[in-house]
Amino acid sequence: MKPKSHNLLADGTSISDLIDIEMREVKLRTLSDQQLYDLEQQRIFGKTWLMLGHESEIPNEGDFVQRFMGEDSVIVSRHKGEIYVSLNVCPHRGMKITTHDAGNAKVHKCIYHGWAFRPNGQFLASPVADQCMHGTIRDKEDLGLQQARVTLYGGLIFATWNIDGPSFDEFLGDAKWYYDMLFCRSDKGMEVAGPPQRFIIRANWKAAGEQSAADGFHTLTLHRWLGEVGNYKKGEEEGEGGDLTPEMFGAEVSSPHGHALRCIDLGRKIRRLTGKNPDELSTEEKLKVLPPPGMNPEMVEQLKKNLSPEQLQVMAWMPPQVGGMFPNVLFGFVYIPQADGSVVGSMTLHTYVPKGPDKLEFTNWIFVEKDTPPELREKMVMQTIQLFGTSGMVEQDDSDTWPHMTLTAKGAQGRHSTLKYQAIYETDKPDGWPGPGIVNEGFTKDDTQWHWWLYWYELMTAEQ
Amino acid sequence: MTSSENVNFFDQCSSPVGIGSELYNLVLGFYYSEAQLLDNLRFKEWGDTLAEDLKYSVPLRQTRLVKEQESSVIHSMRHMYDDYRSIMGRVMRLSGESAWAEDPASRVRRFVSNVQVYATTKPDELCVVSYLLITRNRFDDDHFDLIPCERRDLLRVSGDSFKLANREVILDQVLLGTPNLAIFL
Ligand code: FES
Ligand SMILES: [Fe+2]
Repeated sequence: MKPKSHNLLADGTSISDLIDIEMREVKLRTLSDQQLYDLEQQRIFGKTWLMLGHESEIPNEGDFVQRFMGEDSVIVSRHKGEIYVSLNVCPHRGMKITTHDAGNAKVHKCIYHGWAFRPNGQFLASPVADQCMHGTIRDKEDLGLQQARVTLYGGLIFATWNIDGPSFDEFLGDAKWYYDMLFCRSDKGMEVAGPPQRFIIRANWKAAGEQSAADGFHTLTLHRWLGEVGNYKKGEEEGEGGDLTPEMFGAEVSSPHGHALRCIDLGRKIRRLTGKNPDELSTEEKLKVLPPPGMNPEMVEQLKKNLSPEQLQVMAWMPPQVGGMFPNVLFGFVYIPQADGSVVGSMTLHTYVPKGPDKLEFTNWIFVEKDTPPELREKMVMQTIQLFGTSGMVEQDDSDTWPHMTLTAKGAQGRHSTLKYQAIYETDKPDGWPGPGIVNEGFTKDDTQWHWWLYWYELMTAEQ
Repeated sequence: MTSSENVNFFDQCSSPVGIGSELYNLVLGFYYSEAQLLDNLRFKEWGDTLAEDLKYSVPLRQTRLVKEQESSVIHSMRHMYDDYRSIMGRVMRLSGESAWAEDPASRVRRFVSNVQVYATTKPDELCVVSYLLITRNRFDDDHFDLIPCERRDLLRVSGDSFKLANREVILDQVLLGTPNLAIFL
């Protein structure tokens, strides 16, 4: 069959030649290619739901933040209790409506010629309307800021340009059951500690994106310091050495839409904290010994109100801890061992915003529960900044890796090399697993990342 | 939502210490040797210059209107938020086997200037403002990452030198142009 012309790149390669479905390999060229990048802006970032922040960043009428959907700057603002996402481009001549990172405005006035807009993007007026400044050819309704479709989920703000496309729930599919355990588990919900960290990495967004779809293996090598001198350094009775493998068993959730969750077994931690076999403890006992990040034992009651018994069972056994949401979100809701034997959680979400084929913006939000007691909150924020994001001792190693992959993808030979996803599960769900979706038990494998690429492929080759 | 420690830094500064005075030169010497230790990866020796009640933080910056200038420095979230224990943890990591973000190490130069020293109400403590320009180069990059910033420090007299007791680093970039802060500022 001849490839459809919309899938042909200028050198005659078809997008379908970049992925070998049988072999589970992806051509390295995908990590640095201007043409693919341009197509992704339409076919991925123009089509899927994108995470832009959290409503706690803009609590009051008129509050706004500036964010990015692909390379497009957007204004995320609150107006009469609703959240609006407007393209940050003046319909008059294309100036940015706001150049501020955040603020409060009842009216957004373009500083170039003065056209004014409400926080919901509606065109309000031009300064000399009586002299026909905005003309009569277009109606006023037609001169507003372009609106994205918006949804809130656990207070997280998602938007898409795909106005008639799938709903957010359809987009999440079975994975929603697991994300609910993270984002919708408390009575009052989460809030951001503050605005996100932002920094530039000279790498293709997919180098980070495919890793966020739950690359478990890299933890062993790239983050080996965690076992050598970091939080996962083992005590003498457990045998010395930097091997992190015992910490990495659990189950992994894949999704046909490229979402991924690594549900990591808490058994070892619970055993360490209680000296007891976790199987002999009830779900509630386990949750009280080791409450999820952001919660203390008293807050465990809230879990029972907001989650089903099946979700509670998974929460106390193998809760989702790291993973991603297609195309460019990473979450880390992790249980970090402390020097004194206790555990402090971290709750963090990143987006990897594309800034050209060889550049991404790493945006990092840190969360707490609104009900997290102040002392725990402070510990969480400090720990999370120390381990993740700009100066995070874990993630600084990631940010040094992706640029090299982006460079190797440019070589005349290197571009034909492949990314391989051949570690395949043959296990299925753990016994008694009550959750939906594609779930496999055991040590981490490549299935989740492979599903990420399959969805990338589906979107990139879809009928336009 | 904000914790705003150290925003009153300039309130703590009382009389300026004269440029070129003996005390001023001692402080300047402290900064020159600090830069030399860090540029030459002598992290453990640098660790010896830190007070055990150290607070070390790098707030975020935001682009805001002039009338909202105070909001351009964000304390609720930071790029770094450390104390003595965690800084020594970073030193230990860098001295270990697998700190890939800085192994191979960046070639870094710390240019310290515009040093202004102030007495405080405590006889053994000084407030110091300094400008720092960091040039950072990795692998065979043909560009330098530049990290210009202002440091607001509290130094405590210790023997014939000082210990760093508080440092807040005010960066000039909102969107940092370097891929991580695996180096000390
Ligand atoms: S470009 Fe905005 S008013 Fe002219
Ligand atoms: Fe990582």
